Amino acid sequence: MVSLDVAEMNVREVNTRLKELMKAGEEVEIVNPHSMHNLATGIKGSGRIVVRGSTGFYTGGFLQGPTLVVEGNTGLYTGDNMGGGEIIVERNTGMNLAPSQVGGTVVVKGNTGSRAAFGMKGGNLIVCGEVGMRSGQMTLGGRMIFLGKVGADIGESMYNGVIHVRDPEVENRLGGNVTLQPISSQEEQEVAALFEKYGIDQDAGKLQSIVPKVYGRHDYVMFKPTHLSGRA
Amino acid sequence: MSAKPQPESKPEKSKTPRPKDVQHGVWNAQTVAEIKLKAETGKHRIRGCGSTRYFPTLDDLTILPGQLTRMPIDTYREDCKTQTVLGARYAKKPLVVETPILISGMSYGALSKEAKTALAKGTQYVGTSINNGEGGLLPDERDNSYKQVVQICPSRIGFSLRSIEAADALEIIVGIGAKPGLAGHLMGSKITEEIGKFRQLPPGMDLHSHPRHGDIFGADDLVLKIKELRDLTDYQIPIFLKMAAGRVREDVKIAAKAGVDGVVIDGAEGGTGASPVMATTHLGIPTLAAVVQAVRGLEEMGVKQEVSLIVSGGIKDGADVAKALAMGADAVAIGTGAMVAMGCVVCLRCHTGECAFGIGTQNPKQRAKLDIEKAAQRVGNYIKAMTVEATLLAKAAGKTKLANLEREDLRALTMEASAVTGIPMIGSNYTFGEMFGFC
Repeated sequence: MVSLDVAEMNVREVNTRLKELMKAGEEVEIVNPHSMHNLATGIKGSGRIVVRGSTGFYTGGFLQGPTLVVEGNTGLYTGDNMGGGEIIVERNTGMNLAPSQVGGTVVVKGNTGSRAAFGMKGGNLIVCGEVGMRSGQMTLGGRMIFLGKVGADIGESMYNGVIHVRDPEVENRLGGNVTLQPISSQEEQEVAALFEKYGIDQDAGKLQSIVPKVYGRHDYVMFKPTHLSGRA
Repeated sequence: MSAKPQPESKPEKSKTPRPKDVQHGVWNAQTVAEIKLKAETGKHRIRGCGSTRYFPTLDDLTILPGQLTRMPIDTYREDCKTQTVLGARYAKKPLVVETPILISGMSYGALSKEAKTALAKGTQYVGTSINNGEGGLLPDERDNSYKQVVQICPSRIGFSLRSIEAADALEIIVGIGAKPGLAGHLMGSKITEEIGKFRQLPPGMDLHSHPRHGDIFGADDLVLKIKELRDLTDYQIPIFLKMAAGRVREDVKIAAKAGVDGVVIDGAEGGTGASPVMATTHLGIPTLAAVVQAVRGLEEMGVKQEVSLIVSGGIKDGADVAKALAMGADAVAIGTGAMVAMGCVVCLRCHTGECAFGIGTQNPKQRAKLDIEKAAQRVGNYIKAMTVEATLLAKAAGKTKLANLEREDLRALTMEASAVTGIPMIGSNYTFGEMFGFC
């Protein structure tokens, strides 16, 4: 394993080195990341990067092939526009996890903030802990698996894709234009395979699926008079 | 017996025509129709093309010709350089185009494949760039364009690392003049099986994109996002940022500080495939005011010579180009004008998906009506003619480069234009309010 101490390096130097190493399919350890922003962005290839610590914003953005493991926390926008490969975060991430993800798999062992999978297009996103409000908003494709409590308005305005959830209160937190249904046997098998691959000890059969309502157009509530709903 | 009262004779009918009351005030026929529609549906109205209202325009300015103070350049026998370099602030390979007239972002989806291909081919005739707009980069567009600008839209539909690798320049889009603060609308009538597959959307279902980037939730994040894009592109290609014209003076400062190579300011006259009428009519400021504000902002930052300024929204002829450049723009971008060159008549019905000219439609029968080669030639001709018009004016003002036009070459024809721009009224060196480069 190649070890890179990045304490005295700028992110451009780090990423340039990572591009070379991943092209060669190497395994790399990064030490002293000191919450560096933009770490491992735009990296192609087939190697493995293990970060011994926490990273900043945009970790693994546009990743295309390698496996990136962060042993600490990551900042906002982890895995933005990711096209392929894997990102595994051992602890928590900031909000807007994996926005516009196109492919690959993201696994967060801890919690994440609001708007996870904002505009997701493809791939898999698994969060073992809690996710914040408006996660899965405007999804066009891909699969999300949220194993903890979910925030309000989950799946708002999905067009395609699926969100598997375990939160028993999810029915009260659904966004507009989506519906809740039992997980299908095929989905259960696919999710179980992901659990096995990433060492997640969960029963896929206990999940429900959030899917888009697909008809002429989405409905939006743009006027919310409180006297009719009784809400303050 | 008293005599029977005689009926009064009717007054003779006047032959003078009676004035007919015509409602020119607030309760005119249009207002009444709008209210009736809202009363019936409870909805706001969506429409294509952009605003129909009056705005102060670049036509309200005039260019001062060179006479004895400056010698004119021969219109027919002497050159006026038009080649334009954009985005050279940090990019190793700036966008070099042969005319300062670019084709602005219009999506495959809002426009037909034939129209996008024709526009791309048109850029080859005159050596300029096309911008893919929202919804992915059509291979036919990339294969036929002289220079390709790739938009980074909030929705990121059809966007990936491959899109970036295909680009000669990137444009992060924050807003457009036709509907600032709102995002893309693509009506279900245009989302065919083919478009649905291209955009990952269910066919026939309206698309309402979101207006904020999922990975840029503020100006501080934008700094990091731009660094990320620089890293991805190895500092080779320019990164522009497009904004609708609102608080332009402040917005351009933030963009410049965030590290862009250029800003694109889209005035309220800008067009779109579909938008709420309220947004096109009541949001944003027109191009005339926006150019001045952008120049002021960049000058106050001390980066006017570094950061390219591209303006769009209602640019229609060479005079607009010359005046925008004189005010401080480095280039302009056109959308509606290029569509008109292909045959569009600005019927305001782009949102219906029915376009008799095969431009703003996905209907195969209508698409077949657009002759790609002919339309491409017409787009090329239009940009060439506009460029020549601009050089004609620049030469008359004594310039051998279009870029040498300056604000001192301009005067305002109306008090309104003078007040908006800070350019003196005709026949004077005086203006109203804040001066724009004159003292």
